[in-house]
Amino acid sequence: MIAETITDADRYPTLTESGRQMLRFLREHPNAPIYRNESGNRLSAADVERVRAFERDVLAATVGWRPGEQPSWIGEFITKCYAEVPFYRRLGGAPPRLVDVPTISRADLGRDIAQFVPDSAPVERLINFRTSGTTGHPLLLASHPVVAASYLAFHKRALRRFGIELQHGRGQVGVVLLGYQRECFTYVSVTPTMNDAGLAKINLHERDWRNADDRAKYLEALAPEVIAGDPISFAELLQIDSRVRPRALLCTSMALSEALRATLERQFGCPVLDLYSLNEAGPVAVFDPDAGGHVLLQHQMLVELLAPDGTPVPAGERGEITLTGGFNFCLPLLRYRTGDYASFGSRSGEPVLMGLAGRPPVRFRTMRGEWINNIEVTHALRRLPLAQFALHQMIDGKVRFRLEQSSGDETAVREALLALFGAGQLLQIERVHDFGEKIVQYTSDLPEATL
Amino acid sequence: MLNRLSREGPPLATLLHRVADTPPDFLAEPRIGSAGLIHVDAVVGDLLASFGADATAPELQRFADKGPAARNALSVTLLLCWVLAEPWFASASPGKTALLQLLGDSALELAAATPARKFVDDPDRREELVRVALAALGCRPAGESEAQAEDRLTSLSSAERARVIEAARAAELRARQIREALRKKAAEESADKWTRE
Repeated sequence: MIAETITDADRYPTLTESGRQMLRFLREHPNAPIYRNESGNRLSAADVERVRAFERDVLAATVGWRPGEQPSWIGEFITKCYAEVPFYRRLGGAPPRLVDVPTISRADLGRDIAQFVPDSAPVERLINFRTSGTTGHPLLLASHPVVAASYLAFHKRALRRFGIELQHGRGQVGVVLLGYQRECFTYVSVTPTMNDAGLAKINLHERDWRNADDRAKYLEALAPEVIAGDPISFAELLQIDSRVRPRALLCTSMALSEALRATLERQFGCPVLDLYSLNEAGPVAVFDPDAGGHVLLQHQMLVELLAPDGTPVPAGERGEITLTGGFNFCLPLLRYRTGDYASFGSRSGEPVLMGLAGRPPVRFRTMRGEWINNIEVTHALRRLPLAQFALHQMIDGKVRFRLEQSSGDETAVREALLALFGAGQLLQIERVHDFGEKIVQYTSDLPEATL
Repeated sequence: MLNRLSREGPPLATLLHRVADTPPDFLAEPRIGSAGLIHVDAVVGDLLASFGADATAPELQRFADKGPAARNALSVTLLLCWVLAEPWFASASPGKTALLQLLGDSALELAAATPARKFVDDPDRREELVRVALAALGCRPAGESEAQAEDRLTSLSSAERARVIEAARAAELRARQIREALRKKAAEESADKWTRE
């Protein structure tokens, strides 16, 4: 098998001289971390224009529907999916009403993602988004460089709610993405729609740095306009004595506690945006304290709140957040059940997701006494073909791992978990016949497990 | 086989017009779980009763309580019910076994790769639907010999089968290309998003 050779020209097709200097600055700064990976935007000049035009549309658009209503684009969208997406083509002709479209879940996408990629998606440009599998189904999702770049449009829309217009550009760093994991995908890149402003994805874990003090110095040197992360990496950011002053923090992946948000806002003197974002759909909503819930960000996405039987819940009741539409043209969603729950509220005539139950952050205590993020468990088991699993830590530190009856090699699971938790870890592995539709993958009895 | 289409039925044109003019109730969504409108099991039960052949609950079960994957086949069953409601069929007194086989198994075969709506909109598929219905009951269109009717049905069905096989082959090839593309290192290393979920 011939190894793939990927060059900077592949990663950054429109790289300018200032972009080149930015990459060098990020990589070669004396306090820089050990970058473990390489990645790039892969945007052609035409792509950059397309993303810019999309940003303008997103910033100008309104959500345009109320709970229980169908936006005008839905009929055409259903017809297109039934014509172009293999999974739907097999179901026959397009039904005229959305309620007659069957719902799907992560399990459906996990069985064979190719069945959900429309005929119009260009195979040669596909990229993947890998999900951590909070609901027990690890996924490899189809996407495109333009889709990845389009996230920024929704971030800008969310930031505008907080009175922030991004100002950075050539020669400045736009965003630093934080991780805090023993193993983390880290790289540097540039954002062509912001005139090759810098982007760095770094891991705050000490093992990625020559000197622990470098973390604060590097962040201060980069002076990013935005820092993105999750509650666990932001909690670590609070621990390092950094004078970095971003204009906003973007928090994704897990539910952000009120206490941590307040601490972060105090420490960094800027708003913390709690984004409800999924690999399957991108940024769906942002928490707005004035609205008392998460306001929607995508104008071509319909949200339904469904009961277990697939019918919409009565007004004001909690239901499963179910998505139709979206901007990932390689993975159009039709009634995709997210496994997350909320009720509908309203703010200035626009729907608001109230009491959103996101994916709870869970930490586990290892034999070394250190706390590890649940994502690290996912990563440690990533190479193992596990269909579904759940991990629970008991009050005495013992770990119980449950996996589906028919999948996975218990010995390999045991080895991976002992490598992560340390030798001597008490570990119980159980086979489960059926997890049911929704499982909570990571749980703990230890009070310090949630931040 | 030679005697399969031994009985002369109504003129082909009568049935083709009937299909082309299918009323909205027979084109509506089959009821599946909480979705759809038409209870196909009830329609089948009524049709059989009109022929004096009362279906049992277990016989009707296959037309009810289906998952979303059965939708297209149930839609074809509904279309066949409309074809069989043409008055000539009542005079032919079709047997219950043949009717249930047509409305169940044959509908499933027809629906395997063709959207139900195409059996109304596309002239060749419309003719196939009508000829399959007649043949299942041992009939041929008025004015045709058995051999003519057999030949025409075979030619319609085999052309469609060839199309379906080619489409399935192309779909499998593309699915494999997608799976391979997503596993490439390049696909792995190019998700330049501003936030990570």
